[in-house]
Formats: sequence, structure tokens, C-alpha cells
Amino acid sequence: MNSIVNPVFRAMDLSLLHSASLLVPAVRREEWLREWRAEFWHVTDARIESSAFCWQAQREVAAFCLGSFADAQCMRRLAHDEQRKTVSMHSSATQCLLWLALLFVLCATLACLFPGVRAEYDTVLHPVRPNLIVIAATDLNDKQVPAVSYTEFQNWRSSYQRYFDGLGFYRTDTQTVALSATRSGKFTVALASTNMMALLGLPVRAANEAADTNRSLPQVVLSYEMWTRSFGSDPHVSGRTIQVGEQIARIAGVLPCSSWKPPTNPDLWILVPGAQLATANQDTSGFVVAHLTKLGQDAMDTERISIMVRGEVEPWFCGIAINGNAAGPWRIYLFALFLAALALPAVTSLSMSESSFSSHRPSWKQNMARWLFLGAKLALVACIAYFASLDIAYWRIGGYSEIAELTQLAANFLLCLFGFRWALMDQRQRCPVCLRRVTHPARVGLASQTFLGWNGTEMICVGGHTLLHVPSLPTSWFGAQRWLYLDTSWEFLFADLTL
Amino acid sequence: MAAETKLSHTAAMILQAIHAGYVYGFSIMEVTGLPSGTVYPAMRRLERDELIRSQWERQSIADAEQRPPRKYYKLAAAGKTALESSRKRYPLLERLFPAEETQQV
Repeated sequence: MNSIVNPVFRAMDLSLLHSASLLVPAVRREEWLREWRAEFWHVTDARIESSAFCWQAQREVAAFCLGSFADAQCMRRLAHDEQRKTVSMHSSATQCLLWLALLFVLCATLACLFPGVRAEYDTVLHPVRPNLIVIAATDLNDKQVPAVSYTEFQNWRSSYQRYFDGLGFYRTDTQTVALSATRSGKFTVALASTNMMALLGLPVRAANEAADTNRSLPQVVLSYEMWTRSFGSDPHVSGRTIQVGEQIARIAGVLPCSSWKPPTNPDLWILVPGAQLATANQDTSGFVVAHLTKLGQDAMDTERISIMVRGEVEPWFCGIAINGNAAGPWRIYLFALFLAALALPAVTSLSMSESSFSSHRPSWKQNMARWLFLGAKLALVACIAYFASLDIAYWRIGGYSEIAELTQLAANFLLCLFGFRWALMDQRQRCPVCLRRVTHPARVGLASQTFLGWNGTEMICVGGHTLLHVPSLPTSWFGAQRWLYLDTSWEFLFADLTL
Repeated sequence: MAAETKLSHTAAMILQAIHAGYVYGFSIMEVTGLPSGTVYPAMRRLERDELIRSQWERQSIADAEQRPPRKYYKLAAAGKTALESSRKRYPLLERLFPAEETQQV
């Protein structure tokens, strides 16, 4: 008898648990049922004796199982409360700021990852030394061509110069460079005097003294473009040896990205002492980089300056000023921000002034929160515009580029302009009490049917604080939107009064 | 949840029971004398308010004892604070239950 009745009761109890589980939201049902089945096992184990049927014990177990309905209902209510919390976040000020902050973090992270953005900052941080000129000749196409032989350069350097206090020489040649045992290619190699980098004022980055195992080898400085293109921006490149033509050379470091492109734009620079420059292809012409003295700078504006060799003026050479100062992303951004602020009134007729149907006014705390929210939105939009414009400008460009700077300016301007416009329009549709966007737009009246009566769109705050009336045709008596503050008699219409 | 929140007598009893070492639903029912329809919903609310935390027992322990794994509850930091303030409100609460050895989870 017991072997039949006890399983029947057990099946009934389990069916009660399964029935109750249907009340539990589906996502939590499995775990809920697992807990109740485990508890049921322990209750049965403690109450029911398999050898005898006890009505009282079965009643207790059934009462325990019936309690699962109360628990299931509780689970359902809790899930509903959570859902309402999510709904209350919808279109709230917090949600808006969180989305903007998320976008800002995304844009900033992307900007940090793009090599072009890093190169742009590099350009600004390491500008070419001011008051430098390149002495060369110009061809018919206004291209700078090498015009100075090393012998002439030596003569200039050994003579007193009124207008220059530093002179450096380089000449270029296309040579086969073996980057490794398996990789080689033709590169533009500049053979330069050892003072060239100091004269240009460019720090040789990634110079690793510890890795310099063989100091007797000639030093090679890579251009930024070659470092990124041929060495994959490897930070541990210094100290490696490469074969340039017939000679083995040691990589001493990498030049920072620069907005100035030297004539013939060498891929790598071999810094050699004067004696070596004098012996190798002595008659090959090169370029001279010269730093102007104060007298030279003044003279540049008023007269032609000349190079003196033992008291005699040298024949004419062309001196082209090196302009290595990039505007930089920040200065471009500030300019675009200024332009956007000027253009903003042209693209939006919205003003922050507004009227109200009633005499009710929001408290000073609500007003303060409203202005702070607008300030936070504008600040976040401005930050997003800065990083997003960098992302747009440099997502396919690996180094400094004037086109990228122009793209950045345009993107900055447009993002700031339309971002600020959105922030103002969004603000106009937020309830002054809870800063939630008003919803449920309803058309009221038709212009063709109401001659002097009001027609437009009416929207309501989901918290039940306000109604917003926006006229469809601004008139002299109803030109701007108006808020209607609702009193407590409206509260019964709104489900969630905690908003 | 604020530490100063006033708990109902039922919730305070459940917190005290968990504190005394009765760490799963059925043992709390047994020691408090409350029905399952009261204990489990109360524990859900306490968990929602982060006064207690739940954790499933390891399957290996349950398998060794040839029974299904239990869901154990323990007091969170906020729960301990709430229990302290409830003891001031219900002075006899502390004497209600004898301490039980804490289960190994």
C-alpha cells in the first residue's frame, strides 16, 4: 500500500512545484525549480518514512509545496520591478549621459589605436628646430635639387659666416638595403654629416645605448615612414644591423614623424664623419642645412643674404626656409570649435528661453540640474567631436598628412556644429522637473480648421510632471513652445510616481 | 539598500537564523517555524536588497552524500549591519536560535 500511495503523493507534490514554476519568469525558471526540487528532496527525506504512510507528514510536505506559489509570485513581482527600473531609465538624463560617455570612450580608444593619430601628436611634440633653411638649387618645376658639393660645404664651414651659426650636409643616393637575410629593397639613403640630427633639433627615438654592441659600425637613423612601413613600428629596432649597399650599418634609432619633408625625402640617414663624406663621391652634389643667426633672421626679411668664403661672396644659391611647425590637432580643434560656435545660430533657431502656461516654476535645484545636464552634454559632445574627427581623419593614414589635417578640421566643425544643435534640441524636449524626454506626441488642431485657435503637437512627460505644447505655425501670440506643469490631481494617471 | 532600513520581524528572524548557521531554506523554515510561502519570498527580497548572498553547493559534495545540491545563503556586509540594528529593535532576537555549524559549500 505504502509503495503505491507515497509515489502518488510525491508525483502530486512535484506537479504542484512544476505548476508554480510557470509563474516564474522563463529566464529564472530553471534555477528556481532546481532549488525547490532540492528543498523538496530534503523535506521529503526529513518527513516521509518509506515504510509507512503518514497522513500528517504528507500534509506537511504538500503545505511546503503550496508555499512555492507564493515564492513564484514573489519572483514574478521582483522581475517586474526590475523591468520597471529599466523602463524608468529609458530616455532619462542618466541614460543620455551614459550613452554619450560610452561613445566618448569608444572614440578615444580608437584614436589611441590609430598609428596616424600617434604620428600627428609626434609631429607636434617634436617640431623641427626654428630658423633653419635648406640651401639647394631649384629646377624648372621648382623642385629642390642638390647644388652644393662637399668641398664647397667644407669651405663654407671653415669660413666665418655672419648669417649662419650651424651648417650640416647631406647627399642622397638610391641603394639596395638588406633589412634582414631574406628582405631587401631599393631605398633613398642620405649620407649626412654627424651633426645633422642635432642641427635639425629632432630627437632620435628608441636610441638604445645598451643594445649598441658594435659602436665601430656606421650609425643609421630611420625615417618614421620607413620604420612603420618596413619594420612594422618595432620599438626594439635600434641596435639591429642592416646592410646598406656594400657596408654594414647599425640602426641607432628612429626620427619622429615630422611635417617637414626634406628634399628627396630620404628613407634612412647614415651619419658619417667628415672624412668619409670627403672620400666617397666627393664631387656629388648635396644639400646644406643651415641655422640662421639673429642677424641672418633679420636680414632674411630685408635683403638677400649670402654665404662668404674667405671674404668673398659665393655665387647664388637658393635658400628655402624649413617650416616644421604643424598646427596640431588641438589648435585645429579649437579653431573648428570657434567656427561651429559662430555657425550654430545659423542652423538652429532654438533659444533656451521658454514660457509656461501656469505660474508654477521649477525649483532652483531643478533649474541647476537642468543647466548642469546641458553643460555635461555639450562637454561630452565636444570631447566626442575631438576624438571622432581624429578617427575619421587618420583611420586610413599612417603618418602626418596635410589632407588628414583638413579632414580633421572639416569633421571637427561638422561634428561640433550638429552635435551642439542636437544637444540644444534634446534639451528643449526634456521635462524641466525630471529631465526625461517628453513622449507620446499628439497633434492638436488643424491649421486649416482653426483660424485663431492653437494647433500644434502636444507631448507628455512619462513621470506625469508636465505637458509640452509645440506650435506647428509660430504666431505672434504663440511663437515658442510652452510647458504646462501638472498638479497632483493628475497623479492617478501615471503608473510610476517615483520617477 | 541603506543600512538604517528597518526590517520586518520575519526578515530579522531570517537574518538571525542565517547568522546562527542555518544556511538553506528548509533549515530556516524549521528553526523559525515560518511556512515555506513566507521564508522563500522573504529570502528573495533580502537577496534583492543585497542583505544576503546565495551560492550553490558543489556538485561533488552533494554526490558524495547522495542528495541533490542545496542553495546556501550567507549574510552580506549590509546584512550584518541590518541585523545589528534589528537586534536593537528586537532585543530577544539574539536568543531565538541555537548556533549551528556552518555548512561547507
